[in-house]
Amino acid sequence: MLVFACKWCGFIGADGAGRKRIPLTPHFRLIPVECAASVEPDVIIRALADGIDGIAIFGCHLGGCRYNQANHMAVKRNELLQDLFDIIGVDRRRLMVSWGTAHEPFQFERDIYRFQQILEKLPPMDHLLKPPTFQTNRL
Amino acid sequence: MKILIQAHEIAKQILDKRQADAILGLMEKNGSVGPGLLRSPQDAEDLVLEPKILLSKIGLRILKAAPAGFRLAIMCRGCDERALRELAKMNQLDLSAVRLVGVACREFQAARCVCQRPYPTHTDVGENVPGIDPFADEKMLELLQKEDITGMKRWASILQKCIKCYGCRNACPLCVCDPCRLADSAWILPIDISPEPMAFHLIRAFHLADRCVACGACQETCPADIPLLAIQLFLRKVLKERHGYEPGLDTEHRSPLLGDLIKESGKDDELPAWESSLSPKQPLVARGEEKI
Repeated sequence: MLVFACKWCGFIGADGAGRKRIPLTPHFRLIPVECAASVEPDVIIRALADGIDGIAIFGCHLGGCRYNQANHMAVKRNELLQDLFDIIGVDRRRLMVSWGTAHEPFQFERDIYRFQQILEKLPPMDHLLKPPTFQTNRL
Repeated sequence: MKILIQAHEIAKQILDKRQADAILGLMEKNGSVGPGLLRSPQDAEDLVLEPKILLSKIGLRILKAAPAGFRLAIMCRGCDERALRELAKMNQLDLSAVRLVGVACREFQAARCVCQRPYPTHTDVGENVPGIDPFADEKMLELLQKEDITGMKRWASILQKCIKCYGCRNACPLCVCDPCRLADSAWILPIDISPEPMAFHLIRAFHLADRCVACGACQETCPADIPLLAIQLFLRKVLKERHGYEPGLDTEHRSPLLGDLIKESGKDDELPAWESSLSPKQPLVARGEEKI
C-alpha cells in the first residue's frame, strides 16, 4: 500500500511511531507531501491503475490544517472519489483518509493495521484492472 | 416552423440594432448544416436550430481570437448556457461580452439527451418542455449499481471498448486545460491503443466531476458507445445531494470541492467529528494507546 502523509502532522506522527519502536507492518511505502489536499485524485487513480492495493492519506485534524482549510477540500474530494469507486467496481475501502496530529503515532499504527486487515480480504488490484481479453490481445 | 421564424426575427433584430457584432449559430448552406457566424441581417435567413450542436466551445475559440470589444451573440441551448457559465467561472471568458439567446430544446431532443433541464434560464426561442429524470431509466440504474468486491467486471467490459480517440475530451465544452493531462505520458500510457480502462476514464470523469453540465456531448461523440454520461450524472447527483450544488446554474456559487466545511454547514465552528474514513462520522472511543 501507498501512504501519503502530510509533512506537518501525519509524517511526524509516522516518524514518532518509528521512534517509539511500535511494531509496524512492512507492507507500505510512505511519501511525505506538503498537505493532504495536495494529493490529487489523479494520483490515487494512477496508483490504483499501477496495481497498488490501497492508498492511505494522513493529514492534520479538521480545523488544524496549516494551509487554511485545505484538508476540508480533501475530505469532500476523497468522499466523492470513493463514491465514484463504488459504481465503477473498485472497493471504496481501498482509499483511506485519516486525520491526526504529530503526537499521535499510535493512531498512525492503528489505522495502518486496520487498513492492512481490510486490504488482505480484498483481491489484488491488478487482476481487476486488466480484463482477460485485454491480456490475450497483447500476447 | 414557427420557432424558426421567431429565431430569424430575433437574429435580425440583434444585427440591425448592432446589439452584437456577430451571431454564432447553426447555418444551412448548400444543403448542409454547420456552425457559422451571422454577420449581416441578410444572413439571418440561413439560421437553423436543429440538430443539437454545442456551440460554447466554438464560441470560446472565437472570443479568444477576436479583437477586444468584440461582442458575440450565441444561440445557446440550456446546456450551452450552463457550459458558458462554468467557463466564465474558470476565467476562460467574460460573460458580459456575450449576449445569450436562449433556445429551448424540443421534446424529442430532451428525451434523447435524458436532460434534466432542457431549457436556458431565459428562453427567447421556442417553449420550455419539462425535464426528464435520468434515474427513472432502468438501464441507467443497472449501470450505476454498486458492485461487490469482485466487481469491476461490468464497467471493465464497457470501458474496454475504448479506442482512445480522445473524442470525449475534444467534444466536451468544459475540457479546456492546456496541456491536457490525458495526453501526458506520465499519467496515461501513450503507446497503448486501448488505454488502461480505469485510469483514462476515471481521471477524465473526476476532472469534470464538479463542472459537468450533463450536455451529453461526450457520449454522443463516443464511437464505442460507452455510457459516459451515466458516470457524470451519478457524480452530479452526489454533489447535489451532499452539497446542494449544481454546476452551471449561476456564476456566483463556486464548486463545493473548493470550499471548506464550516461555511457550508451553516453552523459556526462545528466540524464533522471523525478521524478516519474507516469509521466515518464517528469519533473513535478506544484509543490506540490501550492496545499496547
